[in-house]
Amino acid sequence: MKKLCFVLLLLSSTFTPIVAQDLPISQIMIEGESWELVAEGYQFTEGPAVNADGEVYFTDVPSSKIYKIDLAGKVSLFTDQANKTAGLMFGADGFLYGTSIGGKAIVRFDSQGVPTPIVEGVNCNDLVVLGNGTIFFTDHVEGKIWSVSSEGKLLEVAAGITFPNGLIAWPNQKQLVVADMRGRYLWNFCITADGQLKHQQPYSTMQLSVGKTESGADGMTVDKVGRVYVCTEQGVQIFDTQGRLSGVLAKPQRAFLSNITLGGPELNYLYATSTDKVYRRKLNTNGVRLAK
Amino acid sequence: MRLLNRNPWLLAMLLVSVTSLAYGQSKYQYGPNSQRQEGVPQGKVTQHRWENSKVFPGTQRDYWIYVPAQYDAAKAACVMIFNDGGGYVRDNGHSRVPLVFDNLIHQGKMPVTIGVFVNPGIIPPEQQGGAPRRNRSFEYDSLGDQYARFLIDELLPAVGKQYTLTDSPEGRAICGLSSGGICAFTAAWERPDYFSKVVSYIGSFTNIRGGHVYPAVIRKTEKKPIRVFLQEGDADLDNLFGNWPLANEQMAAALRYVGYDYQFVMGTEGHSGRHGGTILPEIMEWLWRDHPDNPAASK
Repeated sequence: MKKLCFVLLLLSSTFTPIVAQDLPISQIMIEGESWELVAEGYQFTEGPAVNADGEVYFTDVPSSKIYKIDLAGKVSLFTDQANKTAGLMFGADGFLYGTSIGGKAIVRFDSQGVPTPIVEGVNCNDLVVLGNGTIFFTDHVEGKIWSVSSEGKLLEVAAGITFPNGLIAWPNQKQLVVADMRGRYLWNFCITADGQLKHQQPYSTMQLSVGKTESGADGMTVDKVGRVYVCTEQGVQIFDTQGRLSGVLAKPQRAFLSNITLGGPELNYLYATSTDKVYRRKLNTNGVRLAK
Repeated sequence: MRLLNRNPWLLAMLLVSVTSLAYGQSKYQYGPNSQRQEGVPQGKVTQHRWENSKVFPGTQRDYWIYVPAQYDAAKAACVMIFNDGGGYVRDNGHSRVPLVFDNLIHQGKMPVTIGVFVNPGIIPPEQQGGAPRRNRSFEYDSLGDQYARFLIDELLPAVGKQYTLTDSPEGRAICGLSSGGICAFTAAWERPDYFSKVVSYIGSFTNIRGGHVYPAVIRKTEKKPIRVFLQEGDADLDNLFGNWPLANEQMAAALRYVGYDYQFVMGTEGHSGRHGGTILPEIMEWLWRDHPDNPAASK
């Protein structure tokens, strides 16, 4: 087999088609499928997060409440102690982690919805939890990225982004992508073994609305292929594995689109939070459980 | 298929023959100037690695330098950059540049020219199990002067320490295919004070990262001192980024409108370097036709 691999490698290096793999959004869109309303009547929804069963949690930031959407689509209150938590993600331990803007803390909610701060005194916006327990979160006040190790050690790992907002890791968890809400770039970083970030690069350029200089970028997610999804003023912009814009999914409503995640048992529903409402649409792809 | 699974070499041979068949059927065949000719002095190709880029931090890449046999350190040589250089530098690649340069320089049809063949960068992962961040699209498809700065401020000064290179833009050319083609144009468009000659095969003047705007921009910009050769094929790509044949037609029309010194050849191939590669000797004669160091120019 090694010989075969070598020969194929040799052949591919000589005759490789020049085109890299294209990932048009038509590959993930399903005929007849569009945004469907899942929940409404809230003030400012944010932070959709998927648990091990595929149920999706979201937060209503001003009311400090977090809700759960079960697999039947029924919405129930998970906690009213969120203290203005915005970003949410489940960890490999099965607990929900969040960025509490009110408490200036990264918190872990137990199964009853009671929060415990992991680090305090921080400005935080959104977070991503990796499989090894490392948390990265954005600090839009200082324009920084911070990491929290699985032992709870806080570390500043990047600075100088105007308004870092949403963030996500590549499926292999070795690269971090951060969206600049006030700029037009998605910034890529290599994640080192000790949780530092290296090789910052404006790897992707978001499409802006005519006359605008800011993307309005917010929450992000990633699929199994490595496509990166980011909420923007234009809609959900989707980038391929080389950082090239594949296309833009329309927003579910004209109002601000804050965040997205791929949920459901197969992780094939794109859930979106937008001010008073939560929507979802079925896609022909699957999400990635970064924390597992 | 079971037979093939058990016989990897058989499968490989089959693949080779299928591929050769596909290439053999092309109407674009290599002429004598793309083949090794007896009595023609051979230049030397050396391989190098660049890992200290400040323009593209963290990137690593291979590059090759071709030095013609006629090179004389006492006399400045012209220089030509090839993007995706690994594909251009091989004697059995799509363009066979060292063979073409050996033949044309020997025949006095182009000046003594050093070839610099540069691959796009990758940023290796910082941990085992990670995938490299491929930088080709970022470097080649982005508009702006960053790739030109990489060449002008970083790579070419290093080459210039080993070899005597011209300091005149008339003696500097840049060539590429696909995204490497638009990259070649962008480098000269941004820095016509440095590069004056561009060759693009199947250039991606499409919306990969905004390059579809060039025809419109060219029409409204004072003419720059750039000579451009464009090769395209009417079976080329039509995808989410754009339609390559139409994009290249638009480029050619814009260059014609402004009065550029340009050539546009539309062939029948798809997204391949084959057609451009087989006519590379003719492209080089046209590109260098009036360079003062080209013996053919003074005749």
